[in-house]
Amino acid sequence: MLRPMESLDADAGLMARYRDGDAAAFATLYARHKGPLYRYLLRQVRSAGVAADLFQEVWSRLVATRGRYEPRAKFATYLFHIAHNCTIDFFRRDLMRRADPADAQSAEPEVPEYQRPDGVAEFLEQQSALLAALGALPREQREAFLLHEETGLTIEEIARITDVGLETAKSRLRYAIRKLKKALQPAQTHARPLRPRTV
Amino acid sequence: MKPRTPPDDLDEYLCGDSELSRQYRREPSPAPPPALDRQVLRASQAANSRTPNLAPLALAASVLLSLAVIPAFVFGPQPEQRAADAPRLLRVAAQAGAAANTPLDRKLRLYSSDPPHARPPAVWLTDIQALRRAGRNREADAEFQRFQSAYPDYSSGELPVTR
Repeated sequence: MLRPMESLDADAGLMARYRDGDAAAFATLYARHKGPLYRYLLRQVRSAGVAADLFQEVWSRLVATRGRYEPRAKFATYLFHIAHNCTIDFFRRDLMRRADPADAQSAEPEVPEYQRPDGVAEFLEQQSALLAALGALPREQREAFLLHEETGLTIEEIARITDVGLETAKSRLRYAIRKLKKALQPAQTHARPLRPRTV
Repeated sequence: MKPRTPPDDLDEYLCGDSELSRQYRREPSPAPPPALDRQVLRASQAANSRTPNLAPLALAASVLLSLAVIPAFVFGPQPEQRAADAPRLLRVAAQAGAAANTPLDRKLRLYSSDPPHARPPAVWLTDIQALRRAGRNREADAEFQRFQSAYPDYSSGELPVTR
C-alpha cells in the first residue's frame, strides 16, 4: 500500500519533472504506483486481459495529458481519477456490447474467467474468501474499498476521484466493509492460516 | 429501554490497522507482467522524445503578449478620449428598401451626426435624394436643412431633394 502522505510532494514533483521532459522521473513514478493501480483495475474488472488493457490506457492518458498537469492535489488522486474514468468507460462499453444481440451471440459463454483453463493461474486469488466477497460487492462499493486499501486515500479524496459527494463515498465504503466482514465471519472460523504477503 | 447503537464499522475501519485491512494485505499482490512494464515505459519515453515540451514556450509567449498589451492600456487613450473617438455614426438608411432604390448602386451613407463638410455636397444631395425615394421625407428634410446650412451657396440643381 502506498503511504501517500510520505510521497505526496515527491510524486507530484516527479510528475512535474516528467511534464518538463525528465523521462527518468516517470520511471520512478511508475514503479511506485504500478502495483496499486494494477490491483485496483484487476479487482475491479476481474479479467487479467482487460486489466492489462486498461492499465496501459491509464498510463497513456497520463502521458498524453502531462502538459496540462498541475500539482494541485496528491498525484495518486490524479492517477486514480484517470483510472476511474477508464473503468467507467469500459463498463459502459461492456454493457452496450452485452445489450447488442449480434455481439451477444458471438461472445464467449459467461463462464467465470477463473474457471477457464487459461484463467486458472491468474485467478487463483479468487479462491480466497476475502477476494471472493470483494468480487461480489457492487462495483461502486468495491471501488471505494480498493481505493482506500491500495492507495490509502481519504474519503474526501475517494469522493473526488469517483465524482460523488462525501456522504455517498462514505456510505459506499461503510456498506463495503459491513458486507466484507459479514462474508468473512463464517470463513474465518474454518480458515486455513493465511500466507504472509510476498513483496 | 433505548436501542443500543451498533458501533460504526467505518470509523473503526478508518482508524487504520483493522482486521479487514490486515487480511487484505495478506492477500497475494499481483503486479503487471514485465512485458506490460516495458510497453508503458517505452511509450512514455517515446512521447517525451517525440514532442518537445511546449510549456516554457507558452509561458514566454504569454509574457511577450502581456508586455505588448499592458502599455496599450496604461498609455493608451483615456476613457473620455476613447468616448470622443467613438464613431458618431447614426445610420438612418439601413432599411433594405431604401438600399435597393439607391440610384448610385451603393449603400446609403446618411449620418445625421456627421460634422458639416464631412461629405462632398454632391454625395450628400444624392443621399438626400435616396431618402426621398425611400419615403423617409422627414429625415430627408432634416438632412437638407443641414446641407443648406453647411453649403448655403450650393445649388441642388434638378435633383429632387426638396418636397
